[in-house]
Amino acid sequence: MSKSEKKIVLKSLDNEAFEVEKAVALQSQTIWVMCEDKCVGNEIPLENVTGQILAKVIDYCKKHAVVDGDGDESSEELKNWDTEFTKNMDQSTLFNMILAANYLNIKSLLNLTCQAVADKTKTIDEFHTFLNIENNFTPEEEAQICQENLWAFDD
Amino acid sequence: MSSTVRAENKQQPPFLITSLPYDLIVDIVARVARCYYPIISLVSKSFQSLVASPELYTRRSLLGCSEHCLYAVVFNKITNEYRLCILCRRVNSNRLVIIQSLPLMPSNGTYVAVGSKIYVVGGMYGREFTSSALSIVCRSHTVQRISDTPMCMGNHKVADIIDGKIYIINYEGVMVLDTETQIWEPEIKKPGIELGYLWTGSVVMEDKIYMRDRRNSFVYEPKESKWGLDEVLISRDWENACVIDNVVYYYDYCNRKLRVYDSKQRCWRVVKGVEELLRKTTCYALSKTVSYGGKLALFISKHYQVAGKSTTEIWCAEIALERQQRGEIWGK
Repeated sequence: MSKSEKKIVLKSLDNEAFEVEKAVALQSQTIWVMCEDKCVGNEIPLENVTGQILAKVIDYCKKHAVVDGDGDESSEELKNWDTEFTKNMDQSTLFNMILAANYLNIKSLLNLTCQAVADKTKTIDEFHTFLNIENNFTPEEEAQICQENLWAFDD
Repeated sequence: MSSTVRAENKQQPPFLITSLPYDLIVDIVARVARCYYPIISLVSKSFQSLVASPELYTRRSLLGCSEHCLYAVVFNKITNEYRLCILCRRVNSNRLVIIQSLPLMPSNGTYVAVGSKIYVVGGMYGREFTSSALSIVCRSHTVQRISDTPMCMGNHKVADIIDGKIYIINYEGVMVLDTETQIWEPEIKKPGIELGYLWTGSVVMEDKIYMRDRRNSFVYEPKESKWGLDEVLISRDWENACVIDNVVYYYDYCNRKLRVYDSKQRCWRVVKGVEELLRKTTCYALSKTVSYGGKLALFISKHYQVAGKSTTEIWCAEIALERQQRGEIWGK
């Protein structure tokens, strides 16, 4: 991939436009394929990502593009940046970041956000809230599983 | 609980996709620590089956999220029960927790860990010797029965595994269990050497099983059916030892030293850097070393009196080992 000065515009679902360097945007395999195949011109509509989330995704891509290009930051610093990046995200933002990373096909961001959820989600309620699913056990079934797994609940 | 979930859903923007693709859910759950899995299985029925599925464990290995779990059989003096415990590691606490779903374990049983299973062979229930054998499936904490051992071996035996075959040895013979087929080999071979009571455990190095009785240290090569006396290991009264990177470790409780036998340089050494830790221990005969994901786990029981009552505590230390150029081994 040549380091061209060319910029492209990413347009979110709610019509927010972001002008970014191509090298930043092309970390997304999805955008890369769109640029290669569809000759979409300079503006790429992203139908599954809101402006709020897209802004964060671009922050991430910018940080990682700079490092890959110039190598002026150690991987340790980058790791710390990643940790800070997801640290204060609420569950709903993280959820949408995972969906965005998946849709845009940015593997490292997907890994980072999935790991962040795994680290943060520890209780049954947190899982229910995060994944927007409901408990479909009867109280008897629930009691049975608790009984079988007492070791894990004994806090 | 479910009403708060619904309330929050209403606040979310209408265009939100409300469920993650299944593949991403597997990805997330695979990254969660093993000791939270029972909690996850309570999330919903589909999560219960996910946690029990082999797919999840394949993903864990792919992501490099496999964990080493430490299990210990703990005897309760009051109830006279032997129960299997798991070391539960959370942010603020490390505790051995009894796994209630598993049956009582035998006393003096032999335990061999193979992949994510633990084989339990022989031992005693109450005052009766048993020839029963079972394997504990660690992923689900359930038990699978295996056919009874071809011979009841009593207490003074050792067991170890080489190439998927478990060898159970005492002075009368060698029983072999193929862990693939879960079938005992019909033939019980006589040891090619006179063995005494084997009660201090065994170790395996380079496809050879080392064991000792009161007087001698023995080495057995199952593939060649070869028995011999081991001249070097016997210079120390090693017991309840383990092997990490071809080095034998055992705790010498009399001298409060963690001793190592280096099979390459054929010599005994003392692990350095753990003196302070070991000074805190009391001189007591019950100790055990275990390999725990490349590190050493050292169990020591400690007795003390509280208000006239004697209490036993089990100490467990996790020791990272570093080998230096001259062959010295440092623990941390």
